[in-house]
Amino acid sequence: MSDRVVRARGIVKSYGEGRATVRVLDGVDLDVERGELVTVLGRSGSGKSTLLHLLGALDVADGGTIEIAGTRIDGAREPVLVDLRRRKVGFVFQSFYLLPELNGFENVLLPARLVRGSDGAVARAHELIRRFELGEQALRLPATLSGGEQQRLAIVRALVNDPALVLADEPTGNLDDESRAAVLALLRRVADDARAVVLVTHEREAVELADRVLRLKEGRLRP
Amino acid sequence: MNAVLRYGLARLRTSRGRTFLRASGIVAAAAMVGAAVTVAWGLSTGFDRAASRAQLPDAIASFDALPIGDVSARVGALPNLRAAAYRLTISGRHVESNGNESGHATLVGVRSGPRAYALLGGHDLQADGQAVVEAGLARAWGVRPGEPIAIDGRAFDVVGVGLSPDTVAFPLAKGPRLWLRYEDVQALAGAPPGAVNQALLWVRDPGQLDVTLAQARAASYGVSGLQFVTRTGVRALVADAGGIVIALLIGFSIAALAAAGAMLAATAASDVQRRLSSIGLLRAVGASRAAVALGFGVEAALVAFPAASLGVFLGWLVASGPSTRLLESVNELPPGRSLAALLVFADAAIVVLVAAASALPAWRAARRSPLETLAAADVRGTPPRAPLPSGPAGLGFRLALARPFRTAATVAVLGSSAAIILLILTIATVLAGLRTSPAAVGRRYQLTIDGPASAAREVARIRGVSGVTPRWSVDAADSFDLGEPFTLVAFGGDHTTWENPPLAEGRRIRNDHEAEVGLGLAEALNLHPGATLAAQVPGGRELRFRVVGIDRVLQEEGRVAYVEPRRLLDATPWAQSTLAVKLAAGADAGTIESELATQGLFGSSSGGISSDSVRGWAQRNGGFVSILVSLLRTIAILDGLVCLYVLAQMLALTAQERRRAVALVRACGGNARQLAAVFAGAALPVAALAAPLGLLLERNVIGPTVSRLAATYVSLPLTAGLVPIAIVTCGLVAAAYGASWWVGRAAVVEPVVIGLREE
Repeated sequence: MSDRVVRARGIVKSYGEGRATVRVLDGVDLDVERGELVTVLGRSGSGKSTLLHLLGALDVADGGTIEIAGTRIDGAREPVLVDLRRRKVGFVFQSFYLLPELNGFENVLLPARLVRGSDGAVARAHELIRRFELGEQALRLPATLSGGEQQRLAIVRALVNDPALVLADEPTGNLDDESRAAVLALLRRVADDARAVVLVTHEREAVELADRVLRLKEGRLRP
Repeated sequence: MNAVLRYGLARLRTSRGRTFLRASGIVAAAAMVGAAVTVAWGLSTGFDRAASRAQLPDAIASFDALPIGDVSARVGALPNLRAAAYRLTISGRHVESNGNESGHATLVGVRSGPRAYALLGGHDLQADGQAVVEAGLARAWGVRPGEPIAIDGRAFDVVGVGLSPDTVAFPLAKGPRLWLRYEDVQALAGAPPGAVNQALLWVRDPGQLDVTLAQARAASYGVSGLQFVTRTGVRALVADAGGIVIALLIGFSIAALAAAGAMLAATAASDVQRRLSSIGLLRAVGASRAAVALGFGVEAALVAFPAASLGVFLGWLVASGPSTRLLESVNELPPGRSLAALLVFADAAIVVLVAAASALPAWRAARRSPLETLAAADVRGTPPRAPLPSGPAGLGFRLALARPFRTAATVAVLGSSAAIILLILTIATVLAGLRTSPAAVGRRYQLTIDGPASAAREVARIRGVSGVTPRWSVDAADSFDLGEPFTLVAFGGDHTTWENPPLAEGRRIRNDHEAEVGLGLAEALNLHPGATLAAQVPGGRELRFRVVGIDRVLQEEGRVAYVEPRRLLDATPWAQSTLAVKLAAGADAGTIESELATQGLFGSSSGGISSDSVRGWAQRNGGFVSILVSLLRTIAILDGLVCLYVLAQMLALTAQERRRAVALVRACGGNARQLAAVFAGAALPVAALAAPLGLLLERNVIGPTVSRLAATYVSLPLTAGLVPIAIVTCGLVAAAYGASWWVGRAAVVEPVVIGLREE
């Protein structure tokens, strides 16, 4: 089985209409392998988040091809995209997006409960929570947790279905220095567990942990 | 211009899709309000409108025909009299037109004076050989002014279409009514010249009508067959006749109004909740609380005004046709311009409600510090105090719990709607059964058997008989005025367990010196609780009773008095008795009648309500019963749609308010089916609570209330059976699933990332 998890060629994405059209991504190529943590840097509005949304099948590209863990998602129908989001991709958002009605453990299990036959997910959730030392936090509601604790739970949620690819969209943007370091260390461990991680950020600290650093400029990725 | 308002207007321009959705919700709710107002106002004021236009007299005295000079001399001497008119009215005549015919027509010979009917088309009678036909006949037979009509074989010209609300319209009434010139009716009846049998009386002070009538009775020596019907009495009877339907329609309207109001307020409040961060920002840059509230209120009003106007118009458009037809069937008039004013008021009220529902939460939100408001832009979770289900449905359940007041309001609205649907289905079942089985009327006994009281024990032994009691009825006359006949009725036990006419006034009898009198008798003899009923019975003895209650009895036009049997039987030991027989559930009346026949006991047509008499009623009114049944079922379906709307609106609000949570579920791999499961988790508990609430309301509040309102002489058993309960429960569950499926499908239309960007 190939180690390549992400294979993207010539991705194009534009926003706006007519003369107001902005071509945010203009032929992006990207390959990411298992165990690799790729950091994408870029200014605000450069299209980093857009790239991640396209890789995670949260949005649709205007052009190009995207293959995630052997599945072509450009032009794919919704059931294919749903299956990809369930089984092959885990997403970490800047604002955590934990559901306020669910406690930490229930938030972690949310993706697993959308998948039939995910009996192993509960055990995996317990294991991840133990491993990342979130046992106490898992029993509390998000409103009672710090930003760092919420983001660590969000990362565990992204891992609960054992995805091949983890996409992290500025996961440290809302955190203090201490929490930021803890979250970045956690993402490094995620990659070391033979997953591909694409981390979008504009923070220099992330560079030190990355296996590869790419810059998104004028719609294209450059080393 | 207020900066907050500028921001609001800019938002309306840029978020056109959201504005359209918001306006659509207001259109839907306003349509319900428009329909409810149209129905409720039209039906509750129909009689007064028609009575006013027709100049319905304050009292109508009917008597055996007398020379007009004799009558007018007595009438002219009455106090408080403003005007009088005299008629010769004959019934059971043959009319024929446009290939239709009836042998039950009533012809009213009109003399000079107020005419007491409204002209809806054509002109009034101007010459012999002309006829004004009632509107019901004109509609049913397609008769128009200028067309011929044959009356007892003689050709007349239809010159006008009239209406008088003192009775229901043809074909609901057994025969049509036609107004002719007096001379024509007199000739058709073969009556002596100048003979009249009705006096229409208009008084100056309606509050003193009883004095006028008492004087009229005193002056009626030698007048036979005298009966008075007052405008109030007609109103009560007509209101009773449509009582169930009108009560249900008004109940439905109130439920629809509550649903619409709750949803309008919830939609507006939810919109403010989503914009808390904007409110925080506006406060942070210096906007005052008042400016924030005003801006949100005006912005909401700008959306609400066109939407509410359109919705109210659509509601009127849908509801005005059926309610007008219902009014026409009871000879009442549609509301016309008075409804327009009310609809405008409803429109304004909706706009104010929506504006207030936006301004108040904005005002409350602006009370907090800007920072606090910015941080509170998402719905706070409710800590689980008990184990809650997990998975998508569990998430939905918690989303519902996160909005406890909205969820409770939805349960209340659905419960009320479910109660109305249960009641409507129960009544429709009773009425539908009436066409084939008189026992389905639900009076408290099913058979009336000729036989002595001593046979009761024997009859009680028959299998399928659950109760028997003797029923005595004695013809009597008022001792003070022997021209007023009525019937004294007594049962072997408490009469209300056998015949339970609704009480219009006073209380039930408690001893053998008391009497409850029918409304017709009370009006004829001017009786009130506390008055004395002096009854002269066959054999010459007089029995005096203290009147303690007035019953709405339709039997024998209400000229009935219920008393205890002891004194009645002492005075008339030969009193005619029948046996009232209650059947056990599931017992076959035919089989029991056959068995009784083998014992020499036969069904009676005198006293009580015989099977045959009910069958006859049912056959005559079969068409009306069918209309009622289909109307009731239509209302039930409409009410069901209200339930569906309420559930869908609740879920749509949740989906809109929790757009990001929905997007998150999708980002985690949730598809339309799983989102439907999330929403079903929110909707099913609501439906599960609403169903028993509806059942409780129907059994303990609405059912008994409507049962008391019921026009029929018998009491309707309006306790919902298993079938209506099953239909309503399944309907609520289906509505919950349907609404969840629809909202789930709608939630996956947009790309996931748009929901995630939602602030």
